[in-house]
Amino acid sequence: MENKNKDGQVIVVTSGKGGVGKTTTVANVASALAKMGHRVVVIDLDIGLKKLDLILGLENRVIYDIIQVIEGECTLKQALVKDKRFPELYMLPAAQTRNKEDITPEQVVALCAQLRPDFDYIFIDCPAGIEQGFRNAIAAADQALVVTNPEVSAVRDADRIIGMLESAAFTDIKLVVNRLRNEMVRQGDMLSVDDLLEHLCIDLVGIVPEDKGILVSTNKGEPVVLNERSQAAIAFNNIARRLSGEDIEFLSFDDESFWRRLTRGLFSSR
Amino acid sequence: MAIATTNKSEIYLNIGTLPSFAELEDELMYQLSNLSSYPPGTLVRIDIGEQRLTSKQVREVEDMLLDHGFYLQDLMSNGPPESEGDKEADEHPFDHMPYYNDTVMICRHLRSGQKLFSEGNVVILGDVNPGAEVIAGGNILVMGSLRGLVHAGAFGDETAVVSAYRMNPTQLRIANHITRPPDGENVDVSIPEVARIRTDKVVIEKLKL
Repeated sequence: MENKNKDGQVIVVTSGKGGVGKTTTVANVASALAKMGHRVVVIDLDIGLKKLDLILGLENRVIYDIIQVIEGECTLKQALVKDKRFPELYMLPAAQTRNKEDITPEQVVALCAQLRPDFDYIFIDCPAGIEQGFRNAIAAADQALVVTNPEVSAVRDADRIIGMLESAAFTDIKLVVNRLRNEMVRQGDMLSVDDLLEHLCIDLVGIVPEDKGILVSTNKGEPVVLNERSQAAIAFNNIARRLSGEDIEFLSFDDESFWRRLTRGLFSSR
Repeated sequence: MAIATTNKSEIYLNIGTLPSFAELEDELMYQLSNLSSYPPGTLVRIDIGEQRLTSKQVREVEDMLLDHGFYLQDLMSNGPPESEGDKEADEHPFDHMPYYNDTVMICRHLRSGQKLFSEGNVVILGDVNPGAEVIAGGNILVMGSLRGLVHAGAFGDETAVVSAYRMNPTQLRIANHITRPPDGENVDVSIPEVARIRTDKVVIEKLKL
């Protein structure tokens, strides 16, 4: 990207609907970018319902939170938590005892302006919903990643969110399809990526397959990108590489099923 | 071969059977130039023998007469009678489309939660997604997939039409008629369609252009 050695870019990860994997996407894509050597900071703006620290496994290292930074109780540098695995990754935790109304979009813009010179990527974990929390999260962002699952309710909310981002003059909006189950798509029981793209009409940046490993790594507080064998890890790594400007083909999950189809074909021919 | 007989305020033109419409036009043009002494508003009856004209050709004949200030009184033909089917096919859905002065054109997708209102017509170069609403006093034209809610003729104009490149709305309203797609049926139509009110019912038909 053109601002590689200049100011970092602010990327908001949002979805509208809750539970589609915003925080997981933030944690994993940020970790993947940090692993590649980029300087990355993640900001949890889900104030009152924080979980990014949990997923990154940094909960017990939190000392100050974003509200304390904004209210001047501590400096920004003091509040940033350094990741235990990647030296280039930092996290700014949310407060659990406060509300989303306690900060304003202007304060988020000011905060990001402070972070921009020191980082390549600033990820903002947006809360679910379209209220104050959402407005805070998108205020400073240059780019938006919309996470959705292949189900009608998530797609409807994603569509609403994209509409609101467009109204807020966002031009760089990209789609992450999470929890795709290819065998269900093949049977026609799940919306396909093509269906989603036809419906939402935005650029695709990643397809993440459903993976049990996500749940395990979330519970352990370890990003799944550390697990080389996981399909989801490959997908998140690819998203990170696409964000940093590499041109990578989308994962074809058919490779594995090709063998299954072949064996099925052999059996049926008998 | 053509005979022009006249009484006071009516001209009778017997053009006879000619092989093509072009020749009929030439003959008619020649005959009309000889009749310039008649006052404007004179009625004209034309006998075209065995020839058959489509309604579009009849309109052209009418226009030619009007250029000379004459009105077509009757067009007589001994040809085979026009079948009902032909009549239906000749009628274009847009023939009866009401006229509105202001038209709003939107060059983007309308997404869930977005609402568009116009007192006149609306043209959308993009999709209307589920959860989006388009309400127009006049007609609505969607040059993409229509998957949301649309209301044409919102002030009660029953002649308003909704047409879409892909018609698949959540709900479609014209004037005070509210319709939705039938439950359980998922018909995949991949042609442009137009919805309008016919005999007090909203019907969706193929868009012929």
